[in-house]
Amino acid sequence: MKKVWVIIKREYLVRVRTRAFAIGTVISPLLLLGLIILPGFLAERGSRGERKITVLDQSGDPALFEAIAARAESPGSRSDSDGEDGGFGGATRFVLTRQVVPPDQDPNDLIRRESSGGEKKDSEKSYLILAPGVLDNVAPEYHAKNLSDFSIRALEEAVSAAISERRLMRAGFDATKIGLYMKPVDLKQFKIGASGESKEGGMRQDFMIAFALLFFLYMSVLFYGIFVMRGVIEEKQSRIVEVLISSVRPTQMMLGKLMGIGLVGLTQIGIWALSTGLLSLFGATMFASQGAKMPNIPTSLLVYFVLYFVLGFFLYATLYAMVGAIVSSEEDAQQVQLPVTLLIVMPMMIFGLVMANPNSTSSIVLSMIPFFAPTLMMLRIAVINPPVWQVILSMVIMVATILGSVWVAARIYRVGILMYGKRPSIAELGRWLRYS
Amino acid sequence: MNVVELKHVTKRFDQFVAVKDLSFEVRQGTIFGLLGPNGAGKTTSIRMIVNIFAPDQGDVLVMGQHVSPDLQPHIGYLPEERGLYKKMKISDQLVFFANLKGLNSTEASKRVDEWLTLLELSDWKNKKPTDLSKGMQQKVQFIASVIHDPDVMILDEPFSGLDPVSVNLLKNVILDLKTRGKTIIFSTHQMEQVEQMCDDICLINHGTQVLSGGLKAVKRRYGKNTVILDYEGPDSFLGDDLVKHHNRFPNYSEILLNDGADAQEVLKRALAAGARVNRFELVEPSLNEIFIETVTGSKRVAQTAEVTG
Repeated sequence: MKKVWVIIKREYLVRVRTRAFAIGTVISPLLLLGLIILPGFLAERGSRGERKITVLDQSGDPALFEAIAARAESPGSRSDSDGEDGGFGGATRFVLTRQVVPPDQDPNDLIRRESSGGEKKDSEKSYLILAPGVLDNVAPEYHAKNLSDFSIRALEEAVSAAISERRLMRAGFDATKIGLYMKPVDLKQFKIGASGESKEGGMRQDFMIAFALLFFLYMSVLFYGIFVMRGVIEEKQSRIVEVLISSVRPTQMMLGKLMGIGLVGLTQIGIWALSTGLLSLFGATMFASQGAKMPNIPTSLLVYFVLYFVLGFFLYATLYAMVGAIVSSEEDAQQVQLPVTLLIVMPMMIFGLVMANPNSTSSIVLSMIPFFAPTLMMLRIAVINPPVWQVILSMVIMVATILGSVWVAARIYRVGILMYGKRPSIAELGRWLRYS
Repeated sequence: MNVVELKHVTKRFDQFVAVKDLSFEVRQGTIFGLLGPNGAGKTTSIRMIVNIFAPDQGDVLVMGQHVSPDLQPHIGYLPEERGLYKKMKISDQLVFFANLKGLNSTEASKRVDEWLTLLELSDWKNKKPTDLSKGMQQKVQFIASVIHDPDVMILDEPFSGLDPVSVNLLKNVILDLKTRGKTIIFSTHQMEQVEQMCDDICLINHGTQVLSGGLKAVKRRYGKNTVILDYEGPDSFLGDDLVKHHNRFPNYSEILLNDGADAQEVLKRALAAGARVNRFELVEPSLNEIFIETVTGSKRVAQTAEVTG
């Protein structure tokens, strides 16, 4: 075991000391933070675009224009100011100009006249048509060159609210109280926790956390798995194995490499988990004061994250070590590693199914498959609280699979690392398993 | 005392028999030449001695014990194909290899310094292998295989890629290890080096032993059947009835005589043909000649055996 320790130490130190490790450790959480905070941040204080809209007013109700303008021109007064529309375009400022058009004139003629021809400088100009019967049942129209703009939703809300307000006024409601009647109602969302008590949260926050965790787990397992494979190939290609193998058993070499690189990953994830934890504790107020929400990631989730990283890493790294032992060069590895990489990527393609229905039978079964468990069970833990037996069962299945794959990989490894040149066939690999 | 002993060892890979009923002994404090053409089974034999492979049949004994991981610290192995970690400092790698053999880091770095000084590599201690020439890397690899002061050293082509000065340096180091009682198994295709260094040899071909014993005894067995002739003039005087094999070198000829041929006859014919003879010497055949003779001979035997069998 002392030899395994020597190898672990080398694998660990050689990698942790590199600049790439330091950069990766710092950059990735920044990306994660950006992923969570940036959309909200941008919505609040990001680009304050300006959109000029000419209102072609045929309604004959000047107060309607005033009501729309009041709502659209000051973003703060809009009901969606907290970014519930996805945070996009919420900061766009509208500048409305009223142009009264007689009811018998077709406003489209006007638009055609202004938009055709050489007047390119006004190509960004857009139009809002308030037809004569707009306060009854005629729909207002929005004409613009660019309709794939999220801010249109904000405009729609402003127009809708203004028209409703005018209708209520016309019906004789007290003008001073209309604002009160029309105040949007928020649906407050609560998540029932494991202990039965509910905690305020929301689908958006859950989604963000789940997705971030899922993504990081996937990246880490893939990344460190490939690290292992490349390490094996390096030793094989440079014939260092030939020197090593008279000192240690191949199985010791493999285990030392797995654990050493696994520890590097764990160090990185540990740093991330710790900084996330600290941020949740102390950073939340800081970000809140900047107008952005820092999601509160429960400690238990971070613990599960570490656990599933360890399990996922050992499962996949063992397979990657096997791939490394089979091939003779990195180019060779491209093809052979494909099945393994596919196994890692697959849950990333079906996670939507599980997220939408985390408690369905298919979700439960999928999250039990050892190759999917690290990501999919982690996802289920983040979104709902699956029964403890399911979590434990998935871990037990994984541990059993890991033991099995270590056994197979060790047998392939000890033969493979001394074989150069032609890639072995499946039948040959089968025979390697039986060598003494 | 025999430090390494193979007794009727057989090793198969699927249908392929790499080593077949091979036996040899290596005496303590000697340099033993393990020879053979490419693919003869040398590497497989060595890998069984260093406990990488287990024999299918027979026994492999090192220091009187069956090979096991416990013996690994007593064996040093310089494989023919060898490498270093590209991104690791020379001293760090050597300490790592020493640690794997059970040395603690303090002792290891002390020895690393000593060896680097001995092989004139001190200046490269904190460099990475990519900064070193191939020859320097070879020397570093040699250190890696002897750093733990093993009793048995297996050196496979230790001099390949080295300049004559470094070869000399390393040769002296190896001979010095021998005088300190270390046992060395030396595998190479350079027969001159074997003649210079080895006490005993074992020549294997197709996984079986074809020749073995003390170097001098082996050569004596062939008798003085080789003429070294330094002459000026044409070589047409050499008749087929006398010569089995003729190696022409720029400055002299090495002529292996047919069985029963008289060496004096060569001299007579040379003089009769009008050649100027500067040197005439009757010697034992060179190991190179014995190697070629034995290997091609055994191939012929093997082929006949296949036909008749």
